[in-house]
Amino acid sequence: MPRRAKNTRRRARGARRPQRYKDVLHSQGGHRGHAFRCAGCRLEVSVDAPGTTHRNHCPTCLVSLHVDRRVPGDRAADCRARMEALCMSVRPDGEWMIIHRCVSCGELSANRIAGDDNPLALVRLALKPLRDPGIAQRTRLAP
Amino acid sequence: MSTTSRTLSSTPSTALHSAFSCAWCGRTASAVADDGTQRHHCPSCLQSPHVPDPADGGSGDCRGRMSPIAVAVPRTGDWMVIHRCARCDGLTSSPTRADDNQLVLMRLAVRPLAQPPFPLEAFGDL
Repeated sequence: MPRRAKNTRRRARGARRPQRYKDVLHSQGGHRGHAFRCAGCRLEVSVDAPGTTHRNHCPTCLVSLHVDRRVPGDRAADCRARMEALCMSVRPDGEWMIIHRCVSCGELSANRIAGDDNPLALVRLALKPLRDPGIAQRTRLAP
Repeated sequence: MSTTSRTLSSTPSTALHSAFSCAWCGRTASAVADDGTQRHHCPSCLQSPHVPDPADGGSGDCRGRMSPIAVAVPRTGDWMVIHRCARCDGLTSSPTRADDNQLVLMRLAVRPLAQPPFPLEAFGDL
């Protein structure tokens, strides 16, 4: 019992555990689609993206579809509703992540941005919390 | 386990007005904010224990640490904090309260702009 307590403390204090391994299911034999049509702007999007192997959103309007559960490409979710970009998050190594929210069931998911995502849409998303002057005024950071 | 180590989510609904102490920063806070709404995270460090809803397929006893990773603005205009479980990678969102730590909230909101993946100077010409 003491050993177990020691291990959990080390996990809590130490560096973040590495990202869990995910098979790339978008290529051969995973699922049949090699391109998808965006549910938001009807753009035909190829799954081959620069900088990521798990593209799940449209590079123009950042809209995704709720088809996967935990593993990208597993097609295990039966919701199939549209997922809209909710906000921007940053990993500790500086990578931007888009948080999507399903408009039907409210499920949240995170996905790294791709190299050909629209920079204007990304920056608009990142600036969303700072747009409302009322909330920024409420945060009195100076003493 | 003493009652002081009880965290927010394990508090029964009959004891809504009791206080809880944060398992990570140790701050003691009331389970109900000043405006009468229930808290979902510690007002000081914004962390919370992960209690997945069994209706969503969760086991209900993850108890991992949910760290704040982003600030979202839904249509209503209020800020929401997006949490990520350090143990099972589950994502949740919870509304902010008036006495939440504004410095931590603002740090989360401006963090994407600190290290942009592309130069932001080009947007000055738009």
